[in-house]
Amino acid sequence: MSGRLFWLASYPKSGNTWFRAFLRNLDGEGADPASINDLGSTSLAAARSWIDDLIGFDTADLASHEIASVRPAVYRFASDHARGFVCRKIHDACTRVANGEWIISAAATAGALYLVRNPLDVAISYAHHASITLDEAIAALADPDYCIAAGKGGQLKPQVEQRLLSWSGHVTSWVDNPDIAVHVLRYEDMQRVGAPAFAAAATFLRRDATPAAIARALAHSSFDKLKAQEDRETFRERAQRSARFFRKGKIGDWQTTLSGAQIDRIVEAHGTVMQRFNYCDAAGTPIA
Amino acid sequence: MRAARHIYSLYGLRFVSDLPLPELGAELDTEGVDDDAATVVVEQGAVPANGAGIGPQIGPFSHAARDMLWLHVPGVARYLVRDGRRITYAREPGIDDDSLRVFLLGTCIGTLLQQRGQLVLHGNAFAMGDGCALCVGPSGAGKSTLAARMMQRGHRVIADDVCPIDDRLRAVPGMARMKLWRDSADRLAIDTAPLRRIRPDLDKYDLAMGGAFQAEPLPVRAIYLLSPWNRKAFEVRALAGTAKFQALRANSYRFRFIKGMGRAADHMRQCTALAAHVPMIELHRPRDGFAIDELIDTLSEDFARRTAPA
Repeated sequence: MSGRLFWLASYPKSGNTWFRAFLRNLDGEGADPASINDLGSTSLAAARSWIDDLIGFDTADLASHEIASVRPAVYRFASDHARGFVCRKIHDACTRVANGEWIISAAATAGALYLVRNPLDVAISYAHHASITLDEAIAALADPDYCIAAGKGGQLKPQVEQRLLSWSGHVTSWVDNPDIAVHVLRYEDMQRVGAPAFAAAATFLRRDATPAAIARALAHSSFDKLKAQEDRETFRERAQRSARFFRKGKIGDWQTTLSGAQIDRIVEAHGTVMQRFNYCDAAGTPIA
Repeated sequence: MRAARHIYSLYGLRFVSDLPLPELGAELDTEGVDDDAATVVVEQGAVPANGAGIGPQIGPFSHAARDMLWLHVPGVARYLVRDGRRITYAREPGIDDDSLRVFLLGTCIGTLLQQRGQLVLHGNAFAMGDGCALCVGPSGAGKSTLAARMMQRGHRVIADDVCPIDDRLRAVPGMARMKLWRDSADRLAIDTAPLRRIRPDLDKYDLAMGGAFQAEPLPVRAIYLLSPWNRKAFEVRALAGTAKFQALRANSYRFRFIKGMGRAADHMRQCTALAAHVPMIELHRPRDGFAIDELIDTLSEDFARRTAPA
Protein backbone atom coordinates (compact mmCIF):
# COMPACT_ATOMS: atom_id res chain seq x y z
CA MET A 1 0.00 0.00 0.00
CA SER A 2 1.49 3.27 -1.11
CA GLY A 3 -1.47 5.51 -0.32
CA ARG A 4 -1.43 8.36 2.16
CA LEU A 5 -4.92 8.15 3.58
CA PHE A 6 -5.52 6.58 6.95
CA TRP A 7 -9.15 5.78 7.55
CA LEU A 8 -10.69 6.21 10.98
CA ALA A 9 -13.37 3.64 10.29
CA SER A 10 -16.28 2.69 12.48
CA TYR A 11 -19.96 1.99 12.71
CA PRO A 12 -21.59 5.20 14.02
CA LYS A 13 -21.41 5.79 17.78
CA SER A 14 -18.33 3.68 18.36
CA GLY A 15 -15.83 6.25 19.61
CA ASN A 16 -14.75 7.77 16.29
CA THR A 17 -15.33 11.38 17.31
CA TRP A 18 -13.65 10.80 20.63
CA PHE A 19 -10.62 9.42 18.82
CA ARG A 20 -10.61 12.38 16.41
CA ALA A 21 -10.67 14.76 19.37
CA PHE A 22 -7.67 12.87 20.77
CA LEU A 23 -5.81 13.15 17.45
CA ARG A 24 -6.65 16.83 17.12
CA ASN A 25 -5.27 17.49 20.58
CA LEU A 26 -2.21 15.40 19.78
CA ASP A 27 -1.48 17.81 16.90
CA GLY A 28 -2.24 20.90 18.93
CA GLU A 29 0.26 22.62 21.13
CA GLY A 30 -2.14 24.74 23.12
CA ALA A 31 -2.66 24.62 26.84
CA ASP A 32 -6.41 24.34 26.32
CA PRO A 33 -8.36 21.57 24.59
CA ALA A 34 -9.18 22.06 20.91
CA SER A 35 -12.80 22.92 20.19
CA ILE A 36 -15.10 20.03 19.36
CA ASN A 37 -16.16 22.16 16.41
CA ASP A 38 -12.61 22.26 15.13
CA LEU A 39 -11.65 18.63 14.71
CA GLY A 40 -9.58 19.61 11.72
CA SER A 41 -8.97 17.69 8.54
CA THR A 42 -10.25 14.36 9.86
CA SER A 43 -13.74 15.17 8.61
CA LEU A 44 -15.97 12.67 6.90
CA ALA A 45 -14.94 10.80 3.73
CA ALA A 46 -18.55 11.10 2.55
CA ALA A 47 -18.75 14.91 2.90
CA ARG A 48 -20.69 16.05 -0.15
CA SER A 49 -19.07 19.47 -0.51
CA TRP A 50 -15.59 17.96 -0.44
CA ILE A 51 -16.46 15.34 -3.07
CA ASP A 52 -18.26 17.92 -5.25
CA ASP A 53 -15.30 20.28 -5.12
CA LEU A 54 -12.92 17.55 -6.24
CA ILE A 55 -15.02 15.99 -8.99
CA GLY A 56 -16.17 19.33 -10.42
CA PHE A 57 -19.79 18.33 -10.94
CA ASP A 58 -22.63 17.87 -8.48
CA THR A 59 -23.18 14.57 -6.69
CA ALA A 60 -26.74 15.94 -6.45
CA ASP A 61 -27.02 15.13 -10.17
CA LEU A 62 -25.79 11.55 -9.76
CA ALA A 63 -27.60 8.34 -8.80
CA SER A 64 -26.41 6.55 -5.63
CA HIS A 65 -24.47 3.89 -7.53
CA GLU A 66 -22.77 6.60 -9.62
CA ILE A 67 -21.70 8.47 -6.49
CA ALA A 68 -20.26 5.26 -5.01
CA SER A 69 -18.38 4.55 -8.23
CA VAL A 70 -16.61 7.95 -8.34
CA ARG A 71 -15.43 7.72 -4.74
CA PRO A 72 -12.32 5.53 -5.22
CA ALA A 73 -10.96 8.04 -7.76
CA VAL A 74 -11.71 10.92 -5.37
CA TYR A 75 -9.65 9.27 -2.64
CA ARG A 76 -6.83 8.36 -5.04
CA PHE A 77 -6.61 11.99 -6.09
CA ALA A 78 -6.71 13.15 -2.46
CA SER A 79 -3.97 10.66 -1.59
CA ASP A 80 -1.79 11.67 -4.55
CA HIS A 81 -2.03 15.32 -3.51
CA ALA A 82 -1.69 14.86 0.24
CA ARG A 83 1.30 16.29 2.04
CA GLY A 84 2.22 13.52 4.42
CA PHE A 85 -0.33 11.16 5.88
CA VAL A 86 -3.92 12.27 6.27
CA CYS A 87 -6.64 10.78 8.48
CA ARG A 88 -10.28 10.80 7.43
CA LYS A 89 -13.29 9.55 9.28
CA ILE A 90 -15.49 7.03 7.48
CA HIS A 91 -18.71 5.26 8.42
CA ASP A 92 -19.17 3.33 5.18
CA ALA A 93 -18.59 -0.39 5.25
CA CYS A 94 -15.59 -1.31 3.12
CA THR A 95 -17.41 -2.60 0.05
CA ARG A 96 -16.51 -2.89 -3.61
CA VAL A 97 -18.03 -0.51 -6.17
CA ALA A 98 -19.25 -1.49 -9.66
CA ASN A 99 -15.80 -1.86 -11.25
CA GLY A 100 -14.59 -4.09 -8.42
CA GLU A 101 -12.49 -1.48 -6.63
CA TRP A 102 -12.79 -0.98 -2.87
CA ILE A 103 -14.83 2.16 -2.24
CA ILE A 104 -11.85 3.64 -0.37
CA SER A 105 -9.38 2.59 -3.10
CA ALA A 106 -6.66 0.30 -1.78
CA ALA A 107 -4.12 2.37 -3.74
CA ALA A 108 -5.14 5.51 -1.81
CA THR A 109 -4.98 3.78 1.54
CA ALA A 110 -2.13 3.71 4.03
CA GLY A 111 -4.22 1.76 6.52
CA ALA A 112 -7.43 1.70 8.49
CA LEU A 113 -7.85 2.18 12.21
CA TYR A 114 -11.03 0.29 12.94
CA LEU A 115 -12.91 1.36 16.06
CA VAL A 116 -15.26 -1.31 17.34
CA ARG A 117 -17.72 -1.16 20.24
CA ASN A 118 -20.05 -3.67 21.84
CA PRO A 119 -23.18 -3.70 19.62
CA LEU A 120 -25.33 -3.96 22.75
CA ASP A 121 -24.14 -0.45 23.66
CA VAL A 122 -24.00 0.79 20.05
CA ALA A 123 -27.71 0.02 19.66
CA ILE A 124 -28.61 2.28 22.59
CA SER A 125 -26.30 5.10 21.57
CA TYR A 126 -27.47 4.91 17.95
CA ALA A 127 -31.12 5.00 18.97
CA HIS A 128 -30.47 8.30 20.79
CA HIS A 129 -28.36 9.67 17.94
CA ALA A 130 -30.88 8.89 15.21
CA SER A 131 -33.95 9.59 17.36
CA ILE A 132 -35.35 6.11 16.81
CA THR A 133 -36.56 3.45 19.23
CA LEU A 134 -34.27 0.77 20.63
CA ASP A 135 -36.10 -1.84 18.56
CA GLU A 136 -35.61 0.21 15.42
CA ALA A 137 -31.91 0.63 16.22
CA ILE A 138 -31.56 -3.12 16.79
CA ALA A 139 -33.26 -3.74 13.43
CA ALA A 140 -30.92 -1.22 11.76
CA LEU A 141 -27.86 -3.03 13.17
CA ALA A 142 -29.22 -6.30 11.77
CA ASP A 143 -30.14 -4.90 8.34
CA PRO A 144 -27.64 -6.12 5.69
CA ASP A 145 -28.64 -3.23 3.39
CA TYR A 146 -28.59 -0.43 5.95
CA CYS A 147 -27.61 2.99 4.57
CA ILE A 148 -27.29 6.40 6.17
CA ALA A 149 -27.85 9.79 4.51
CA ALA A 150 -29.85 8.04 1.78
CA GLY A 151 -31.30 10.82 -0.35
CA LYS A 152 -34.38 9.13 -1.69
CA GLY A 153 -36.63 11.70 -3.37
CA GLY A 154 -34.55 14.60 -2.20
CA GLN A 155 -33.84 16.29 1.16
CA LEU A 156 -30.25 16.47 0.12
CA LYS A 157 -27.95 15.70 3.03
CA PRO A 158 -24.53 17.28 3.61
CA GLN A 159 -23.15 13.76 3.26
CA VAL A 160 -23.58 11.40 0.34
CA GLU A 161 -25.25 8.06 0.93
CA GLN A 162 -23.18 5.62 2.96
CA ARG A 163 -23.71 1.87 2.90
CA LEU A 164 -23.16 0.38 6.35
CA LEU A 165 -24.37 -3.21 5.86
CA SER A 166 -25.29 -4.89 9.17
CA TRP A 167 -23.16 -4.20 12.22
CA SER A 168 -21.42 -7.58 11.77
CA GLY A 169 -21.06 -6.99 8.04
CA HIS A 170 -19.52 -3.60 8.78
CA VAL A 171 -16.94 -5.01 11.17
CA THR A 172 -15.86 -7.89 8.95
CA SER A 173 -15.80 -5.71 5.80
CA TRP A 174 -12.96 -3.80 7.42
CA VAL A 175 -11.13 -6.16 9.74
CA ASP A 176 -11.09 -9.07 7.26
CA ASN A 177 -10.27 -6.93 4.23
CA PRO A 178 -7.54 -8.75 2.27
CA ASP A 179 -6.03 -5.64 0.68
CA ILE A 180 -5.60 -3.09 3.45
CA ALA A 181 -3.73 -3.00 6.76
CA VAL A 182 -6.12 -2.72 9.69
CA HIS A 183 -5.49 -1.93 13.35
CA VAL A 184 -8.45 -2.60 15.65
CA LEU A 185 -9.17 -0.37 18.62
CA ARG A 186 -11.96 -1.40 20.97
CA TYR A 187 -14.02 1.42 22.46
CA GLU A 188 -13.89 -0.45 25.74
CA ASP A 189 -10.08 -0.41 25.62
CA MET A 190 -10.09 3.33 24.93
CA GLN A 191 -11.86 3.67 28.28
CA ARG A 192 -10.35 0.88 30.34
CA VAL A 193 -6.82 0.60 28.95
CA GLY A 194 -6.46 4.27 28.09
CA ALA A 195 -3.04 5.65 27.13
CA PRO A 196 -1.37 2.43 25.88
CA ALA A 197 -4.35 1.69 23.60
CA PHE A 198 -4.27 5.24 22.20
CA ALA A 199 -0.49 5.14 21.86
CA ALA A 200 -0.63 1.92 19.82
CA ALA A 201 -3.24 3.47 17.54
CA ALA A 202 -1.14 6.62 17.14
CA THR A 203 1.87 4.49 16.22
CA PHE A 204 -0.21 2.65 13.60
CA LEU A 205 -1.16 6.06 12.16
CA ARG A 206 2.57 6.90 12.06
CA ARG A 207 2.28 9.71 14.56
CA ASP A 208 5.38 10.19 16.62
CA ALA A 209 4.15 11.01 20.07
CA THR A 210 5.85 10.99 23.44
CA PRO A 211 4.01 9.46 26.39
CA ALA A 212 3.64 13.00 27.74
CA ALA A 213 2.01 14.18 24.52
CA ILE A 214 -0.35 11.20 24.57
CA ALA A 215 -1.28 11.92 28.17
CA ARG A 216 -1.88 15.58 27.44
CA ALA A 217 -4.03 14.83 24.37
CA LEU A 218 -6.02 12.27 26.35
CA ALA A 219 -6.64 14.69 29.18
CA HIS A 220 -7.88 17.29 26.69
CA SER A 221 -10.21 14.83 24.99
CA SER A 222 -11.60 13.02 28.02
CA PHE A 223 -15.28 12.21 27.73
CA ASP A 224 -16.10 14.64 30.52
CA LYS A 225 -14.21 17.45 28.80
CA LEU A 226 -15.99 16.78 25.50
CA LYS A 227 -19.32 16.63 27.28
CA ALA A 228 -18.61 19.86 29.15
CA GLN A 229 -17.73 21.56 25.86
CA GLU A 230 -21.02 20.41 24.39
CA ASP A 231 -22.81 21.92 27.41
CA ARG A 232 -21.27 25.27 26.50
CA GLU A 233 -21.52 25.24 22.71
CA THR A 234 -23.61 23.43 20.12
CA PHE A 235 -21.67 20.59 18.50
CA ARG A 236 -22.19 20.91 14.77
CA GLU A 237 -21.97 17.15 14.19
CA ARG A 238 -24.89 16.45 16.50
CA ALA A 239 -28.05 15.23 14.78
CA GLN A 240 -30.57 18.02 15.26
CA ARG A 241 -33.33 15.90 16.71
CA SER A 242 -31.10 14.27 19.29
CA ALA A 243 -30.58 16.14 22.53
CA ARG A 244 -26.82 15.74 22.61
CA PHE A 245 -23.94 13.99 20.88
CA PHE A 246 -21.77 13.17 23.89
CA ARG A 247 -24.35 11.46 26.05
CA LYS A 248 -23.15 8.82 28.48
CA GLY A 249 -20.09 7.26 26.86
CA LYS A 250 -20.72 4.35 29.13
CA ILE A 251 -19.65 0.73 28.89
CA GLY A 252 -22.35 -1.79 29.72
CA ASP A 253 -25.31 0.57 29.55
CA TRP A 254 -27.16 -2.34 27.93
CA GLN A 255 -27.31 -4.16 31.26
CA THR A 256 -29.84 -1.70 32.62
CA THR A 257 -31.37 -0.38 29.38
CA LEU A 258 -32.08 -3.38 27.13
CA SER A 259 -34.69 -6.06 27.77
CA GLY A 260 -33.68 -9.72 27.76
CA ALA A 261 -35.43 -10.18 24.42
CA GLN A 262 -33.56 -7.23 22.92
CA ILE A 263 -30.22 -8.60 24.12
CA ASP A 264 -31.10 -12.01 22.68
CA ARG A 265 -31.90 -10.49 19.28
CA ILE A 266 -28.58 -8.67 19.10
CA VAL A 267 -26.58 -11.71 20.18
CA GLU A 268 -28.48 -13.91 17.74
CA ALA A 269 -27.67 -11.54 14.87
CA HIS A 270 -24.07 -10.74 15.81
CA GLY A 271 -22.88 -13.50 18.18
CA THR A 272 -20.13 -14.73 15.89
CA VAL A 273 -18.50 -11.33 15.51
CA MET A 274 -19.20 -10.37 19.15
CA GLN A 275 -17.29 -13.42 20.27
CA ARG A 276 -14.27 -12.39 18.18
CA PHE A 277 -14.06 -9.10 20.06
CA ASN A 278 -14.84 -10.56 23.43
CA TYR A 279 -18.34 -9.10 23.71
CA CYS A 280 -19.85 -12.52 24.33
CA ASP A 281 -18.59 -16.00 25.13
CA ALA A 282 -18.88 -19.15 23.04
CA ALA A 283 -22.26 -19.89 24.61
CA GLY A 284 -23.55 -16.50 23.48
CA THR A 285 -23.61 -14.99 26.95
CA PRO A 286 -22.81 -11.26 26.82
CA ILE A 287 -19.68 -10.17 28.63
CA ALA A 288 -20.04 -6.99 30.65
CA MET B 1 -24.43 16.97 -44.95
CA ARG B 2 -24.31 19.53 -42.16
CA ALA B 3 -25.47 18.50 -38.73
CA ALA B 4 -28.72 20.05 -37.57
CA ARG B 5 -28.22 23.38 -35.83
CA HIS B 6 -30.18 24.61 -32.86
CA ILE B 7 -29.70 28.22 -31.92
CA TYR B 8 -30.44 29.84 -28.57
CA SER B 9 -29.75 33.11 -26.84
CA LEU B 10 -28.49 33.07 -23.26
CA TYR B 11 -26.18 35.19 -21.06
CA GLY B 12 -26.00 37.65 -23.95
CA LEU B 13 -24.43 34.92 -26.07
CA ARG B 14 -25.63 32.90 -29.02
CA PHE B 15 -25.41 29.14 -28.54
CA VAL B 16 -25.20 27.13 -31.76
CA SER B 17 -25.66 23.46 -30.90
CA ASP B 18 -25.93 20.17 -32.78
CA LEU B 19 -27.94 18.90 -29.81
CA PRO B 20 -31.36 20.32 -28.95
CA LEU B 21 -31.04 22.24 -25.67
CA PRO B 22 -34.68 22.88 -24.74
CA GLU B 23 -33.64 24.25 -21.31
CA LEU B 24 -32.25 27.30 -23.11
CA GLY B 25 -35.69 28.34 -24.31
CA ALA B 26 -37.13 28.90 -27.77
CA GLU B 27 -34.90 28.24 -30.74
CA LEU B 28 -33.87 31.22 -32.84
CA ASP B 29 -33.88 31.50 -36.58
CA THR B 30 -30.86 29.79 -38.10
CA GLU B 31 -30.46 32.28 -40.92
CA GLY B 32 -27.66 34.79 -40.96
CA VAL B 33 -25.73 33.54 -37.96
CA ASP B 34 -22.18 34.81 -37.79
CA ASP B 35 -19.42 33.00 -36.05
CA ASP B 36 -18.48 36.04 -34.00
CA ALA B 37 -17.09 36.49 -30.51
CA ALA B 38 -20.55 36.21 -28.98
CA THR B 39 -21.14 32.78 -30.52
CA VAL B 40 -20.66 29.57 -28.56
CA VAL B 41 -20.54 26.30 -30.45
CA VAL B 42 -21.77 23.12 -28.77
CA GLU B 43 -21.00 20.00 -30.75
CA GLN B 44 -20.21 16.34 -30.60
CA GLY B 45 -16.60 15.65 -31.49
CA ALA B 46 -13.32 14.08 -30.54
CA VAL B 47 -12.39 14.57 -26.89
CA PRO B 48 -9.22 12.72 -25.86
CA ALA B 49 -9.86 9.67 -23.69
CA ASN B 50 -7.20 10.95 -21.33
CA GLY B 51 -6.88 14.61 -20.41
CA ALA B 52 -3.13 14.54 -19.82
CA GLY B 53 -2.48 16.05 -23.26
CA ILE B 54 -4.66 19.05 -22.36
CA GLY B 55 -2.87 20.11 -19.22
CA PRO B 56 -2.18 19.22 -15.59
CA GLN B 57 -4.68 17.12 -13.69
CA ILE B 58 -6.67 19.35 -11.32
CA GLY B 59 -9.20 16.83 -10.00
CA PRO B 60 -9.90 13.11 -10.27
CA PHE B 61 -11.86 13.71 -13.48
CA SER B 62 -10.45 16.95 -14.82
CA HIS B 63 -7.44 18.51 -16.52
CA ALA B 64 -6.99 22.17 -17.28
CA ALA B 65 -4.85 24.70 -19.08
CA ARG B 66 -5.33 28.42 -19.74
CA ASP B 67 -9.03 28.80 -20.68
CA MET B 68 -9.31 25.09 -21.36
CA LEU B 69 -11.04 22.39 -19.35
CA TRP B 70 -11.20 18.64 -19.94
CA LEU B 71 -13.89 16.98 -17.83
CA HIS B 72 -14.93 13.36 -17.56
CA VAL B 73 -18.29 12.47 -16.01
CA PRO B 74 -17.91 8.68 -15.74
CA GLY B 75 -20.65 6.79 -17.54
CA VAL B 76 -21.96 9.98 -19.15
CA ALA B 77 -19.48 11.83 -21.34
CA ARG B 78 -16.16 13.58 -21.73
CA TYR B 79 -16.36 17.31 -22.31
CA LEU B 80 -13.85 19.84 -23.59
CA VAL B 81 -14.62 23.49 -22.85
CA ARG B 82 -12.28 26.03 -24.42
CA ASP B 83 -11.68 29.71 -24.98
CA GLY B 84 -15.15 30.64 -23.83
CA ARG B 85 -16.27 29.73 -27.34
CA ARG B 86 -16.68 26.00 -27.69
CA ILE B 87 -18.01 22.97 -25.82
CA THR B 88 -17.20 19.61 -27.40
CA TYR B 89 -18.72 16.44 -26.00
CA ALA B 90 -18.02 12.76 -26.55
CA ARG B 91 -20.70 10.45 -25.23
CA GLU B 92 -20.04 7.29 -23.28
CA PRO B 93 -21.82 4.25 -24.72
CA GLY B 94 -25.59 4.23 -24.33
CA ILE B 95 -25.95 7.51 -22.46
CA ASP B 96 -29.22 9.41 -22.85
CA ASP B 97 -29.45 13.04 -24.00
CA ASP B 98 -30.93 14.24 -20.69
CA SER B 99 -27.92 13.02 -18.71
CA LEU B 100 -25.57 14.46 -21.31
CA ARG B 101 -27.25 17.88 -20.99
CA VAL B 102 -27.30 18.04 -17.18
CA PHE B 103 -23.52 18.35 -16.99
CA LEU B 104 -23.25 20.34 -20.20
CA LEU B 105 -25.68 23.00 -18.95
CA GLY B 106 -24.22 22.99 -15.43
CA THR B 107 -20.47 22.63 -15.06
CA CYS B 108 -19.60 23.17 -18.74
CA ILE B 109 -21.53 26.41 -19.25
CA GLY B 110 -20.46 27.72 -15.83
CA THR B 111 -16.84 27.06 -16.80
CA LEU B 112 -17.33 28.60 -20.23
CA LEU B 113 -18.57 31.83 -18.63
CA GLN B 114 -15.49 31.88 -16.39
CA GLN B 115 -13.32 31.51 -19.48
CA ARG B 116 -15.09 34.62 -20.76
CA GLY B 117 -13.97 36.46 -17.64
CA GLN B 118 -17.24 36.40 -15.75
CA LEU B 119 -17.50 35.97 -12.01
CA VAL B 120 -19.84 33.02 -11.49
CA LEU B 121 -21.32 32.22 -8.10
CA HIS B 122 -22.89 28.96 -7.00
CA GLY B 123 -26.33 30.12 -6.05
CA ASN B 124 -29.48 31.80 -7.16
CA ALA B 125 -30.81 35.32 -7.45
CA PHE B 126 -34.26 36.84 -6.87
CA ALA B 127 -35.63 40.25 -7.74
CA MET B 128 -36.09 42.25 -4.53
CA GLY B 129 -36.49 45.95 -3.92
CA ASP B 130 -34.81 47.88 -6.71
CA GLY B 131 -32.32 45.10 -7.35
CA CYS B 132 -31.82 41.52 -6.35
CA ALA B 133 -30.76 39.28 -3.49
CA LEU B 134 -28.33 36.43 -4.07
CA CYS B 135 -28.41 33.19 -2.11
CA VAL B 136 -25.32 31.04 -2.08
CA GLY B 137 -24.38 27.94 -0.16
CA PRO B 138 -23.29 24.34 -0.54
CA SER B 139 -25.39 21.64 -2.20
CA GLY B 140 -27.99 20.60 0.32
CA ALA B 141 -28.33 24.04 1.90
CA GLY B 142 -31.80 24.31 0.35
CA LYS B 143 -31.18 26.77 -2.48
CA SER B 144 -33.47 25.19 -5.06
CA THR B 145 -36.35 24.75 -2.65
CA LEU B 146 -35.92 28.37 -1.66
CA ALA B 147 -35.98 29.47 -5.29
CA ALA B 148 -39.13 27.48 -6.00
CA ARG B 149 -40.89 28.92 -2.96
CA MET B 150 -39.75 32.45 -3.80
CA MET B 151 -41.38 31.97 -7.17
CA GLN B 152 -44.60 30.81 -5.54
CA ARG B 153 -44.56 33.90 -3.36
CA GLY B 154 -44.42 36.13 -6.40
CA HIS B 155 -40.72 36.97 -6.65
CA ARG B 156 -39.04 36.87 -10.01
CA VAL B 157 -36.07 34.53 -10.24
CA ILE B 158 -32.98 35.60 -12.22
CA ALA B 159 -30.86 32.49 -11.98
CA ASP B 160 -30.73 29.13 -10.26
CA ASP B 161 -27.49 27.31 -9.41
CA VAL B 162 -25.18 29.04 -11.92
CA CYS B 163 -25.27 32.76 -11.21
CA PRO B 164 -22.96 35.03 -13.21
CA ILE B 165 -22.23 38.56 -11.99
CA ASP B 166 -21.23 41.15 -14.60
CA ASP B 167 -18.68 43.91 -14.14
CA ARG B 168 -21.42 46.35 -13.12
CA LEU B 169 -22.15 43.97 -10.21
CA ARG B 170 -25.44 42.84 -11.68
CA ALA B 171 -26.78 39.29 -11.59
CA VAL B 172 -27.16 38.05 -15.15
CA PRO B 173 -30.25 36.01 -16.05
CA GLY B 174 -29.61 32.36 -16.80
CA MET B 175 -31.86 29.51 -17.84
CA ALA B 176 -35.56 30.04 -17.11
CA ARG B 177 -35.78 26.80 -15.16
CA MET B 178 -34.72 25.08 -12.01
CA LYS B 179 -34.04 21.55 -10.82
CA LEU B 180 -36.26 20.36 -8.00
CA TRP B 181 -36.24 17.12 -5.98
CA ARG B 182 -39.58 15.37 -5.70
CA ASP B 183 -39.45 15.72 -1.95
CA SER B 184 -39.23 19.52 -2.23
CA ALA B 185 -41.91 19.60 -4.93
CA ASP B 186 -44.24 17.57 -2.71
CA ARG B 187 -43.73 19.92 0.22
CA LEU B 188 -44.47 22.89 -2.01
CA ALA B 189 -47.53 21.15 -3.52
CA ILE B 190 -45.96 21.23 -6.98
CA ASP B 191 -47.29 18.34 -9.06
CA THR B 192 -44.35 16.47 -10.59
CA ALA B 193 -46.57 14.30 -12.83
CA PRO B 194 -46.38 16.66 -15.83
CA LEU B 195 -42.67 17.48 -15.22
CA ARG B 196 -39.72 15.82 -16.90
CA ARG B 197 -37.07 14.11 -14.81
CA ILE B 198 -33.68 15.77 -15.32
CA ARG B 199 -32.16 12.29 -15.70
CA PRO B 200 -34.03 8.99 -16.12
CA ASP B 201 -32.83 7.52 -12.79
CA LEU B 202 -33.15 10.61 -10.61
CA ASP B 203 -36.21 11.71 -8.68
CA LYS B 204 -35.41 15.27 -9.61
CA TYR B 205 -37.46 17.38 -12.00
CA ASP B 206 -37.10 20.19 -14.47
CA LEU B 207 -39.36 23.07 -13.48
CA ALA B 208 -39.91 25.95 -15.90
CA MET B 209 -39.99 29.42 -14.31
CA GLY B 210 -42.47 30.68 -16.87
CA GLY B 211 -43.68 34.19 -16.07
CA ALA B 212 -41.61 34.26 -12.87
CA PHE B 213 -38.37 34.50 -14.85
CA GLN B 214 -36.57 37.82 -14.57
CA ALA B 215 -35.02 38.25 -18.01
CA GLU B 216 -33.05 41.48 -17.41
CA PRO B 217 -29.93 41.79 -15.19
CA LEU B 218 -30.45 43.39 -11.79
CA PRO B 219 -27.92 44.99 -9.44
CA VAL B 220 -26.93 42.80 -6.50
CA ARG B 221 -28.04 44.49 -3.24
CA ALA B 222 -27.19 41.74 -0.77
CA ILE B 223 -25.69 38.26 -0.72
CA TYR B 224 -26.99 35.66 1.71
CA LEU B 225 -24.97 32.60 2.71
CA LEU B 226 -27.40 29.82 3.48
CA SER B 227 -25.99 27.97 6.48
CA PRO B 228 -28.11 25.16 7.89
CA TRP B 229 -27.28 24.45 11.50
CA ASN B 230 -28.53 22.09 14.18
CA ARG B 231 -30.30 24.70 16.28
CA LYS B 232 -33.95 25.54 16.10
CA ALA B 233 -33.61 29.27 15.56
CA PHE B 234 -33.04 31.49 12.53
CA GLU B 235 -30.23 33.99 12.77
CA VAL B 236 -28.66 36.59 10.52
CA ARG B 237 -25.09 37.81 10.94
CA ALA B 238 -23.39 40.30 8.67
CA LEU B 239 -19.88 39.40 7.51
CA ALA B 240 -17.06 41.90 7.45
CA GLY B 241 -13.55 42.22 6.11
CA THR B 242 -11.77 39.20 4.71
CA ALA B 243 -14.61 36.89 5.77
CA LYS B 244 -16.62 38.37 2.89
CA PHE B 245 -13.90 37.63 0.39
CA GLN B 246 -13.43 34.11 1.72
CA ALA B 247 -17.15 33.43 1.52
CA LEU B 248 -17.24 34.60 -2.10
CA ARG B 249 -14.34 32.36 -2.97
CA ALA B 250 -15.92 29.39 -1.17
CA ASN B 251 -19.17 29.95 -3.06
CA SER B 252 -17.65 30.62 -6.43
CA TYR B 253 -18.67 28.14 -9.05
CA ARG B 254 -15.94 25.45 -9.30
CA PHE B 255 -13.08 27.46 -7.85
CA ARG B 256 -10.80 24.49 -8.57
CA PHE B 257 -11.37 25.06 -12.29
CA ILE B 258 -10.85 28.82 -12.04
CA LYS B 259 -7.43 28.19 -10.53
CA GLY B 260 -6.62 25.44 -13.01
CA MET B 261 -7.50 27.69 -15.94
CA GLY B 262 -5.15 30.41 -14.75
CA ARG B 263 -7.86 32.87 -13.76
CA ALA B 264 -7.37 33.03 -10.00
CA ALA B 265 -5.95 36.57 -10.05
CA ASP B 266 -8.86 37.97 -12.11
CA HIS B 267 -11.26 36.10 -9.88
CA MET B 268 -9.70 37.61 -6.76
CA ARG B 269 -10.11 41.10 -8.18
CA GLN B 270 -13.75 40.42 -9.01
CA CYS B 271 -14.51 39.03 -5.56
CA THR B 272 -12.79 41.97 -3.92
CA ALA B 273 -14.89 44.44 -5.92
CA LEU B 274 -18.12 42.65 -5.11
CA ALA B 275 -17.23 42.31 -1.42
CA ALA B 276 -16.47 46.03 -1.24
CA HIS B 277 -19.87 47.07 -2.56
CA VAL B 278 -22.39 44.51 -1.39
CA PRO B 279 -23.38 43.48 2.14
CA MET B 280 -22.96 39.77 2.84
CA ILE B 281 -25.01 38.05 5.47
CA GLU B 282 -24.78 34.60 6.98
CA LEU B 283 -28.32 33.27 7.21
CA HIS B 284 -28.62 30.34 9.60
CA ARG B 285 -31.64 28.10 9.47
CA PRO B 286 -32.50 24.84 11.28
CA ARG B 287 -31.20 21.86 9.31
CA ASP B 288 -34.19 19.71 10.18
CA GLY B 289 -37.75 20.60 9.38
CA PHE B 290 -39.05 22.64 6.50
CA ALA B 291 -39.58 26.17 7.74
CA ILE B 292 -39.27 27.61 4.24
CA ASP B 293 -41.62 30.56 4.81
CA GLU B 294 -39.82 31.59 7.98
CA LEU B 295 -36.60 31.43 6.01
CA ILE B 296 -37.99 33.74 3.34
CA ASP B 297 -39.51 36.09 5.93
CA THR B 298 -36.18 36.31 7.75
CA LEU B 299 -34.37 37.01 4.50
CA SER B 300 -36.93 39.55 3.26
CA GLU B 301 -37.01 41.50 6.51
CA ASP B 302 -33.25 41.62 6.67
CA PHE B 303 -33.05 42.70 3.03
CA ALA B 304 -35.62 45.48 3.55
CA ARG B 305 -33.76 46.77 6.61
CA ARG B 306 -30.40 46.81 4.88
CA THR B 307 -31.56 48.42 1.68
CA ALA B 308 -33.92 50.99 3.24
CA PRO B 309 -32.95 54.57 2.36
CA ALA B 310 -31.07 56.20 5.22
